[in-house]
Amino acid sequence: MNTKMISFILGHVLRIEAALMCFPILVALVYQEQCGLWFVAVAAVCLITGYLLLRCKPESNVFYLKEGCIATALSWVFMSFFGCMPFYLSGQIPKFTDAFFETVSGFTTTGSSILPNVEALARCMLFWRSFTHWIGGMGVLVFLLAILPMTGGSNMNLMRAESPGMVVGKLVPRVRYTARILYYIYMVLTVIEFIFLLAGRMPMFDAICITFGTAGTGGFGVLNSGCADYTAYQQWVITIFMLIFAVNFNAYFLIIFGKAKKAFSMEEVRVYWGIVVVAIVFVFAYTYIPGMKMEPALRAASFQVASLISSTGYATVDFNLWTAPAKMMLILVMFIGACGGSTGGGLKVSRIITALKAIKKELGLYIYPKRVQNIKMDDKSVGSETVHATYVYFLTFTLIFGCSLFVVSLNGYDFETNFSAVLTTLNNMGPGFNAVGPTMNFSHMSVLTKYVLIFDMLAGRLELYPMLLLCMPSIWKEYLKSVKQ
Amino acid sequence: MLGNDKKSNQKGLKIIIVGCGKVGSTLTEELSAEGHDVSVIDQNAGAVQTLSDAYDVMGYAGNGASLKLLQEAGIDTADLIIAVTGSDELNLLCCTVAKRESNCAAIARVRTPEYSEEADYLRERLGLALIVNPDQEAANEITRVLTLPTALEIDTFMHAQAELIKIKIPENNVMDGKTIATIAREHSFHMLICGVERDGIAHIPSGAFVLHSGDQISFIGTRKHTKEFLESVGFDTKSVKDTMIVGGGRSAMYLAKNLMNSGIQVKIIEKDLEKCRKLSENFPNAVIIQGDGTDESVLMESGLKEAESFIPLTGIDEENVMLTLHAKHVSKAKVITKINRNSFRDVIDSMDLGSVIYPRYITSEVIVAYVRAMRDSKKYKSNVLTLYHLFNAQAEAVEFRVSQNSKIIGKKLMDLKIKENTLIALIFHRGKVIIPGGSSVIEANDRVIVVTANLGLDHIEDILA
Repeated sequence: MNTKMISFILGHVLRIEAALMCFPILVALVYQEQCGLWFVAVAAVCLITGYLLLRCKPESNVFYLKEGCIATALSWVFMSFFGCMPFYLSGQIPKFTDAFFETVSGFTTTGSSILPNVEALARCMLFWRSFTHWIGGMGVLVFLLAILPMTGGSNMNLMRAESPGMVVGKLVPRVRYTARILYYIYMVLTVIEFIFLLAGRMPMFDAICITFGTAGTGGFGVLNSGCADYTAYQQWVITIFMLIFAVNFNAYFLIIFGKAKKAFSMEEVRVYWGIVVVAIVFVFAYTYIPGMKMEPALRAASFQVASLISSTGYATVDFNLWTAPAKMMLILVMFIGACGGSTGGGLKVSRIITALKAIKKELGLYIYPKRVQNIKMDDKSVGSETVHATYVYFLTFTLIFGCSLFVVSLNGYDFETNFSAVLTTLNNMGPGFNAVGPTMNFSHMSVLTKYVLIFDMLAGRLELYPMLLLCMPSIWKEYLKSVKQ
Repeated sequence: MLGNDKKSNQKGLKIIIVGCGKVGSTLTEELSAEGHDVSVIDQNAGAVQTLSDAYDVMGYAGNGASLKLLQEAGIDTADLIIAVTGSDELNLLCCTVAKRESNCAAIARVRTPEYSEEADYLRERLGLALIVNPDQEAANEITRVLTLPTALEIDTFMHAQAELIKIKIPENNVMDGKTIATIAREHSFHMLICGVERDGIAHIPSGAFVLHSGDQISFIGTRKHTKEFLESVGFDTKSVKDTMIVGGGRSAMYLAKNLMNSGIQVKIIEKDLEKCRKLSENFPNAVIIQGDGTDESVLMESGLKEAESFIPLTGIDEENVMLTLHAKHVSKAKVITKINRNSFRDVIDSMDLGSVIYPRYITSEVIVAYVRAMRDSKKYKSNVLTLYHLFNAQAEAVEFRVSQNSKIIGKKLMDLKIKENTLIALIFHRGKVIIPGGSSVIEANDRVIVVTANLGLDHIEDILA
């Protein structure tokens, strides 16, 4: 195994993190907050650690999928570890586990919080908390690929390990330009949302943090009331942008390069919008009480559906109080999640489509046992390996889900709480139901549960396998062996 | 993984390569390393996947002649399409479709002997930039080496007016232990030793470089002068009189034709009777033997011991290598090994196989030269004309045409600040070949051959530090 290359990537990731910490330092300067000094200290430590890791130059550039997965998984763990330090050291989040949970939740764009009182946090801390969403949304390794002069195709393995989606493809021949284009689209959309929110007279600081939360489909807010206190216009803007950031970015790429027709015919995107519309209508129908005003009910339904299908997790109302069918619909869209190649989480629409088509194909085999049929997506055959990988993904997902559910149930909460806590972290949503509902938080869970949920968040963000690989003893044996050499 | 930043930032051309076979993958590797945006197309989705995993390129699975797929691969904005699938017809169709759809340049590989005789006609009528034929090129290279069997490799410039010859210095040779300057003084001023490979590492030598036996050296000069030099340092310069070829495939056909034209007696051993009949029909003066060329007794019976040269062309690399080793063992014949695949090059280099020929590199050299000229032509107009890889692609010999507004003209070479490991090896001035010294001057419209370890020169100014 090429351990030096892994350290090399970790080193770069830490240096980038140090650079990113300059932004909360700026915020601290603006609001004259003392605790901003902790960011300076942690950034310095990141820089030094990064420098030490970069000192031994890798001799070989060969870089396979396993190294890509390990580098990615370790990067995320390291990033979260250093990222939580300002919270912990400044005493704003007194317990380490809580601070780590909060940061992992930030980077993985989950948005589950352990903070009972968000407004008590210093401004620079709040900013950093939301900024982690934005960084984690597109991924820090994709950013690394965009700025580091790397050649060779093996760095595709990094992108594959970090980007969500069934098949991770390139937009243009070079990984580097692909990564750049993705970040350009991401930045432009972020800026547009920010402008829209400012135009709606949202306070500057709120607008920045909410934009980060929406862009990364994360869900950390700055108010205890979530998004309930924002105006109707602001809520509609957030709703629309949550939906926009959950669309496969390939579609935007196609639109930019004048192939709008192709973008609109993307099967995944069309099915996604279909699900959104159906879910909104359904939830609206089951939450609307005759005599109520139409607009607020429709807005609440749309906001909640958009928030959960995009795996953002903002809330304008306490949907825990909604009727059972409406809640069931929300659970369903939580499972489905966003499109592949977006910043959202969940199982991904493309996987659901493939699985449904595979089921249809299997059913067909009962009618004509010898029937040969290809599964197609966007008029192209999906290879049998991809279909197979989808099955295994569902199976792995279910297994992790089951194991986590078991551990979480040790807390002694009701089933709905346990189930939704695992679902919401593994799919990177944010809030669940009952004791972890939109008005509640995760602070009352046991330490063990929190670590299990931390694992779930990372596994969910990195599409399961990189984190599982990190748990394999044979990988570490190989790792130690090559370190010794 | 970490590349040269300057190269990767440079705006490359958009190139579509159809066919991910041996030549296709070599081209993908070289062109993507030179900073071009490469997309590959092949029917075999697995091959596309492997290639786009290994190099930083975009892959598309499907038929490269289909307009829909070409459009998806971005033919309308592409600068160049290279069709190197296994089928000549498909290659030509790909290029034809691509040319109709956009104004990109097109290069096709055409190998069938019938078509290759009409290559010029096809090229002109279909509006192609180049037609490449690796088998023909390989046959040409083998023929050159057979006419000067002491050489390991011979590359030619300016319609064979100048030659770059690679030899290995044997034990107790007069050159052993002498500096390059001494050798030039004692033997010939009309040639220049421009590359030395010692223990697998290529050096671009200065005059003070001391040669040892076992070194492989490349020197450049006109045919007359290189011959004189070789004779004066004790090498034989006589052409071989006969040759024995194992395998009667396409490459053997091209080679036999070349050799018969230069008066070398040809003997071909081929297993398949039908093929033998066809060979005999085409080459009535050649000796065609039907038999298994990998069988020792067949080889002995056919006279391997007495053969002056021996060339296995079975199409299977492992067989070729074994046959070469066997021939070296039992006879004194000059052997040339043709290696098609790219794997295990270091093992192949460590074996004593005589001259080794890689058809895929010959093809890619031609195409890479064309691409570099294409990239450069808009800006400096000092085109790359010819390009050869030397010493396992550690160094390159590049021929440039010097434009009128070039920065290097009218200055003495010793006044130019030239990069390290770079040598101006030869100047063609109005049809005359000049081996340059410190006081030589390059003028506009001269052609210059540069030997360098700084790979990737696009224009002559690139040699300046």
